[in-house]
Amino acid sequence: MSRLDEGSLQRAIAFLAALGVGLAAYLAIAEANGGSPVCLAGGSGCETVARSSWSHLAGVNVAVLGIAGYALLLATAFFASDTARFAGFVLALGGFGYSVFLTYVELFKIEAACQWCLASAVLMTILFALCAARLIVYAGTAAAIPGRA
Amino acid sequence: MSEADRRSRLLRIAAGATFLALAAVLVLIAITASGSGDGGDTEIEGKAAVAKLLEGIPQRQMTLGDPKAAVELIEFGDLQCPTCAGYAEEILPAIMETQVRKGEAKIDFRNFTIIGPESAAAGAAALAAAAQGRGWSFVELFYRNQSAENSGYADDDAFLRALARAAGVADLGRWDADRARMTGRVEETSQEAKNLGFDGTPSFAIKGPKAGGIKLLGTPETTGALEDAIEEAG
Repeated sequence: MSRLDEGSLQRAIAFLAALGVGLAAYLAIAEANGGSPVCLAGGSGCETVARSSWSHLAGVNVAVLGIAGYALLLATAFFASDTARFAGFVLALGGFGYSVFLTYVELFKIEAACQWCLASAVLMTILFALCAARLIVYAGTAAAIPGRA
Repeated sequence: MSEADRRSRLLRIAAGATFLALAAVLVLIAITASGSGDGGDTEIEGKAAVAKLLEGIPQRQMTLGDPKAAVELIEFGDLQCPTCAGYAEEILPAIMETQVRKGEAKIDFRNFTIIGPESAAAGAAALAAAAQGRGWSFVELFYRNQSAENSGYADDDAFLRALARAAGVADLGRWDADRARMTGRVEETSQEAKNLGFDGTPSFAIKGPKAGGIKLLGTPETTGALEDAIEEAG
C-alpha cells in the first residue's frame, strides 16, 4: 500500500490555508469598515455573530486571529521538516479546538448561524485532519527531496 | 536520536496536545454553558398573565389592537418607570379587554426615556421585538419584571434576551441585530413627547375623528377617564 504523498498533503494544506486567509480577511475587513459581513444565503446571522461579544478575544477581532492562524498554517506547508509538520499540527489543533468552541457559542449562546464562521470551522477541521495525517505518516522522516514523492 | 525515536517522541507529544486541547474545549463549553449570558436561566414573571391579557389582540409594530380602529390612544412610557408599570397592570387592562378588543380603539406605545440611559436600550429592545409582532408582549413583560431604576438590569443583555424569548420573539438573532438600529427611533419618540409638552411618564395623547388632530390627555388617573377620552374621540 503506498503512503500518502507528502507533497500532495502540503499542497492541499497550502490551498485550504490560503482560502482561510481570504475568508478571515473578508470578515476582518467587513468589521474594520464599520459594517458587518453579509450572509450570502440571507438572514442576519453573520451580523448578529459579528456584533456579539464573542467576536473579540482580549480586544482582538477573532477574524484577525484567524488571518494569523491560517497564514502560519500556510507557511508550514512550504517546509518538509519535522518542525513544520509539528507546528502545522499544533496550529491546526488549536484552530480546530477554537472553531468547535465558537460553533457551540454561535449556535447555542448567540443563537445565530453565520455561514462564514461555519465555513471557517469546516476549513479548519479539514486542515486539522490533513496536518494530523501529515505528522502521523511523515514524523521523523528526513525532509522530502523536491520533485520526489 | 534515531529517526524512530524522534518520530515516537513527536507522536507522543502530539497525542498529549490533542488530549489537552479536547479537554480545554470541553471545559470552555461547560463554563460557557453554565453562564447566564443567553438569558436562558433568567426567570421572567407574568408570562401567563400577559399571554392571557393580549391573547387574540393584533400586535403590529408597537400598536395593539385593530389597525383600522378609529381611535388611537398613544402612551408615552419609560420601561423603567414604576408608575407606567402600575398603569400597565391596573389602568390599561380594562381598556384592552373592552374598547381595544372590540376594535373601537388601538393603543400605540412610544418610548419616552426620562429615567436614564438604560431606558433607551430597553426601549430599543422593545422596538426590535415589535418588528416581529411581539412589541406589546415585551413591554408588558418588562413592566412586570422591573427592578430598581438605573440599577443595571434594564440594559442587561441576558435580561432583555430572556424577555424577548418569553415574549415569543421567534428570531432572536434578528431581534439582537435589530436592537442597534432602533435607538434612533427611541430618541425620536422621546423628542416627540417633549415637543408635545410632556415631562413625565406615562403621558397619554389621543387621535380620533372627534379629537381634532391630536389631543393631549396628560396622565389620567383612572381607567374611566381614559375610557371617556376614547368615547369622546371616536
